[in-house]
Amino acid sequence: MTSRRVAAGNVAMKEALELLCRVPAHPDSRCWFLAWSPGGGLLASCGGDRLVRLWGREGQGWSCRAVLGEGHQRTVRRVAWSPCGSYLASASFDATTCIWKRQEDGFECVTTLEGHENEVKSVAWAPSGTLLATCSRDKSVWVWEVDEEEEYECVSVLNSHTQDVKHVVWHPNQELLASASYDDTVKLYHEEEDDWVCCATLEGHESTVWSVAFDRSGERLASCSDDKTVRIWRRYKPGNEEGVACSGTDPTWKCVCNLSGYHTRTIYDVAWCRLTGALATACGDDAIRVFEESASSDPRQPTFSLAAHVPRAHSQDVNCVAWNPKEPGLLASCSDDGEIAFWKYQRPEVC
Amino acid sequence: MAAAAPSSDMFDEIVMAEERFHGKGYQEGYAEGSHVGVVEGRRYGSLHGAKIGSEIGCYLGFALTWQCLLPKCTDEKNSKKIRALDSLIGMIQKFPYEDPTYDKLQEDLEKIRGKFKQVCSMLNVQSDFRIGTERSSLTF
Repeated sequence: MTSRRVAAGNVAMKEALELLCRVPAHPDSRCWFLAWSPGGGLLASCGGDRLVRLWGREGQGWSCRAVLGEGHQRTVRRVAWSPCGSYLASASFDATTCIWKRQEDGFECVTTLEGHENEVKSVAWAPSGTLLATCSRDKSVWVWEVDEEEEYECVSVLNSHTQDVKHVVWHPNQELLASASYDDTVKLYHEEEDDWVCCATLEGHESTVWSVAFDRSGERLASCSDDKTVRIWRRYKPGNEEGVACSGTDPTWKCVCNLSGYHTRTIYDVAWCRLTGALATACGDDAIRVFEESASSDPRQPTFSLAAHVPRAHSQDVNCVAWNPKEPGLLASCSDDGEIAFWKYQRPEVC
Repeated sequence: MAAAAPSSDMFDEIVMAEERFHGKGYQEGYAEGSHVGVVEGRRYGSLHGAKIGSEIGCYLGFALTWQCLLPKCTDEKNSKKIRALDSLIGMIQKFPYEDPTYDKLQEDLEKIRGKFKQVCSMLNVQSDFRIGTERSSLTF
């Protein structure tokens, strides 16, 4: 009886995440990161072959629409779209960040941002489109401002982390920046009197934090780590009903949920779907997992359950998972095997 | 054995000798170690302090020079640069040279380094002053 139930559960899980198509995006190389354009029509990928590729739908599959080459000397580690969709930023191990502008017949590199001492690990555009953040192995986070003439000026260099900074991401509607580091912490920054300052440090992970993602409201943050856990943090403003202590006017971010025991290796990426609220992870055990929050769970102590698990989603480490911003349930993933996979996710009814 | 006048005190002396010498040796070693430690600490402290001093001094000289070089006109681009320079100079002037026990010393130093890099980026100057590839860089 019990075994039959388990089997039924597995079937439900397989159906929850269905493979649509696979693309050898960066053959003989690693595919590091994926970014959907704000309209959801294009997917940008980057890899160890120093290229950025853009993918568009064609029939049942996906085809390469453009190759952005000759911008970087080394691996392109991350790509990010501007909120308007007209610009694409690419961060590279060659210590630079390129800004590509959409032209009538493709993309052109219009600016190269220099300043980091070594490998740039991540880049992210603020929701306003006027600020850009980059981070590097040199332990610093840089904030850049874009003016009307498309000129980029550094407005702050933040040396708050004590180790390699792996990831930067902006709050969905505020000028609040989050960064994740090899020093096991997540840090948050905001502007204060003409300068950017670190306003919170999220401590709890026992090893490198690889990625962070805000939920749709921006009140919660998910972080994933080399310690094989995903943690959910919630913002408590000063004077909150729950009595969580805050220092001064800064809110406190408190860990309200720890998803442990699901992953068997380092978790490299976490993506929180803005449309459905589903939480997807990319793991070093080659698997993709999707978690759903229980509808009845207490916001102060939310519970998440595993809704989908594809054990051998790729033949090597999964580096990134990305939800399409317009089409609910459309998930893209990429891996060290150089491939991109497209998945259709359907929330299982048991969940 | 020639002298056979064993007193309990004498045996005591012998029996306790190891412990006594051990204790004495420890005291002497501790005093010597403390002294060497203080000397080494002082040397390290002055070396490290001098390094920080020369680094900060270099930033200040750089900032003051650029403050003089930049035209005092009011266009937006220049005033931003001047504001960043002023901020860097302000941070350096507030940095406590006299108090090595200041608990935010490292934190403030990192902020100054960050501001310096930002200023260099705004002025379009390489922050390590590397002009030619063969030339050694100015790093701290």
